[in-house]
Amino acid sequence: MNYDLVICGVGGQGVLSIAWVIDHAVHEAGLHFKQSEVHGMAQRGGAVSAFVRISDQPVASDLIANGAASLVLSVEPMEALRYAQLLRPDGWIVSDVTPLENVDAYPPHEALYKVLFSVPHLVALDATRLATKAGAVKAQNMVVLGAAASQLPLPVDLLEKQIHELFASKGERIIKANINAFRMGAAASQFAAALSAAGVPSSVLARVMPRLAFEPQAVAQPTLDAWCKRLLAADAAQLALQLFQADAVLALDVAPA
Amino acid sequence: MSEEILLGDEAVARGAIDAGISAAYAYPGTPSTEIYQTIQDYAKQHSLPVRGMWSTNEKVALEEGIGVSYAGGRAMVSMKHVGLNVAADPFMNVAVSGAHGGLVIAVADDPSMHSSQNEQDSRYFADFAMVPCLEPGDQQQCYDFTREAFELSERLQVPVLLRLVTRLAHSRAAVTLATARAQNVPNYVEDPSRYTLLPVNARKAYAKLVDKQPALQDYSENHAGNALTLRGNGKPGILVSGLGWNYLKEAMGDALEGYNLLRVGVYPLPVKKIRQLLDASSEVWIVEEGYPFIERYVSALGLMRERPIHGKLTGALPRMGELTQDTIRRCFGLPVSVSLQIEGLSDVLVGRPPRLCDKCPHTDAYIAINQVLTQYDPGVRVMGDIGCYTLGYLQPYNAIHSCLCMGSSIGMAIGAAHTGMTPSLCVIGDGTFTHSGMAPLLDAARDNTNIKVFILDNSIVAMTGGQPTMATDEEVVDLVAGLGVPREHIRIVVPLPNRKDQTLAIINEELPYKGLSVIIARRACVTYAKQIKLYKRACEEQTE
Repeated sequence: MNYDLVICGVGGQGVLSIAWVIDHAVHEAGLHFKQSEVHGMAQRGGAVSAFVRISDQPVASDLIANGAASLVLSVEPMEALRYAQLLRPDGWIVSDVTPLENVDAYPPHEALYKVLFSVPHLVALDATRLATKAGAVKAQNMVVLGAAASQLPLPVDLLEKQIHELFASKGERIIKANINAFRMGAAASQFAAALSAAGVPSSVLARVMPRLAFEPQAVAQPTLDAWCKRLLAADAAQLALQLFQADAVLALDVAPA
Repeated sequence: MSEEILLGDEAVARGAIDAGISAAYAYPGTPSTEIYQTIQDYAKQHSLPVRGMWSTNEKVALEEGIGVSYAGGRAMVSMKHVGLNVAADPFMNVAVSGAHGGLVIAVADDPSMHSSQNEQDSRYFADFAMVPCLEPGDQQQCYDFTREAFELSERLQVPVLLRLVTRLAHSRAAVTLATARAQNVPNYVEDPSRYTLLPVNARKAYAKLVDKQPALQDYSENHAGNALTLRGNGKPGILVSGLGWNYLKEAMGDALEGYNLLRVGVYPLPVKKIRQLLDASSEVWIVEEGYPFIERYVSALGLMRERPIHGKLTGALPRMGELTQDTIRRCFGLPVSVSLQIEGLSDVLVGRPPRLCDKCPHTDAYIAINQVLTQYDPGVRVMGDIGCYTLGYLQPYNAIHSCLCMGSSIGMAIGAAHTGMTPSLCVIGDGTFTHSGMAPLLDAARDNTNIKVFILDNSIVAMTGGQPTMATDEEVVDLVAGLGVPREHIRIVVPLPNRKDQTLAIINEELPYKGLSVIIARRACVTYAKQIKLYKRACEEQTE
């Protein structure tokens, strides 16, 4: 088993904390790994990335070859696209949709989303809003990790255990906010997987997912069924567009008419 | 035996601690910074009697380490590759005098120049100084080789260079740790002539260094880190060093079994093993991270014709930048994987270079300098230096026009002034000023050169993660005055938007003066405000 992933974002967004949690969980699972990182000028708002390579055999290279990564886990939507060259053709992108604009040439949001949402295997979510709801805006990184958790070759409880470890010195409130953030992300990705399996097109899901107020537990089956029905309707693409543009967060238990 | 997840740099630090170092010294620089940072933090957490500091510069750091060795202790000195240029003088000479207590110099090279101005290869320095070089290929070797380097240094009485590269220094893996050795009891060098390199002594000491070479050669020939696997006469061969092995193994997989293979991690080069590889192989590829150091030797600059040699000199591998699995696969004619294609990607993906932080004091200094310069020839160039403020080269400031090496701005401004550039301005931070800006300022003071030196005093070494500065606030003023700059031409400005008029007025007062002025832009770094308070409190406690 070989599993390569890229974790990315901007300095200060907690990219290396995600890597820390994965590294320690991988180690505890008895697997081999190497994890390299580029953070030379992280404090200055530059791009930050970490490459994690997981295997049941000893890992040789610290770098990921082009076309070898199974997953890009990004805390920022433009950064999510920066490492596309490393992704396998069937690779996944899991990303927050909240832009961090600290460069003048940042692309227009509509154009950026159009490209990002065209990625066939995508979980897009508003990790920033979900983290705020979970009790700590900085936990946006744990929302994204939660949304990617089911893809990783690791038991989810090992990841949660390491999140506890990472925030152990910060007190119960911060631990709880980060665990809840992680679980919201996990609930979101389960929801997306179920809808996708039912045939909801990825471009529709990409626009709806960031507007849903996920809770730190799995979405109830009747709610899921209702959304499934709604998003398989003929006008689903139009609805997705409307929901995304409205930029408001919807409670999950009321699927829009 | 315990296992921990460590960065390459951290593994070196733990190796040094477990080798029983008495002290460690360093100057911060990416990708080497975490070595000393880890030693300092670990020693503090575990109340270990390991002394040391962030030194003024790399030369001083090495001299401090040499002092530890002279007094019988073991010392780790760490720096980035260009730092070894600063420390080259003690490095070359301690090779001649030899070590007493174990002395290891860990140097982190930066191929691909992720955060450096060149990609020089430190193996040349080890070769130049005729001292051994250990080149770990993974995090476990970072730990093991560091421990071994101390043992080797003490046994053969030579300093040892440990060469790291960015991708190892900044990559994590699980590392198995062994039992720590005790520190040495101080025991001074019995024969002081060894360390007194008067020509009469230096000739003897150099002869000793030359005499040590066969022992070093034996050490390298017999080292498990230089592993030769011959699979049959007439097969192709590969000579691979350091991190190159990881990429090669990954790129070639089972296909490697068709090659004779020599893996090198210990220098001087194992000449006999290389001879065996060449004799057994139809042709040889040389895969190394950094400069084509081994290839130049083995191919005799391409003059050797008995076997075809392929590498960076011949164009088989890229001459510049880091190796990757893919560059090696291409080198051996193997296909590379296809990536996910995303339509329109290049239209919405822009670079996100580092930039000055919001409310950074440097921005206000640059805005003022730029505004003052509008009165002059637009061709006027401002000499810059190395630190966060180097980002002032970029838009929207475009305020500095050089960045060569640590401390270079002042000397370059002197030269430019002598050539007729008016006004001749330069910009240097407080950390870089004490690193290597004081000597050129002394030149300017003695010459009363008509240059205007801006010292951007933000009270910290910010670029590398917030290490303490050697002088800030009034200490900088006193240093500058002590070097001979008249107090009336040492001016303080506060780089804040609401103090801009005063800043401009002061600069404009100094510009017409036909001599040396030092303008100190004094405001603490906003990003490390908390850290600065801690350092200042620690300083006060020390003086009390």
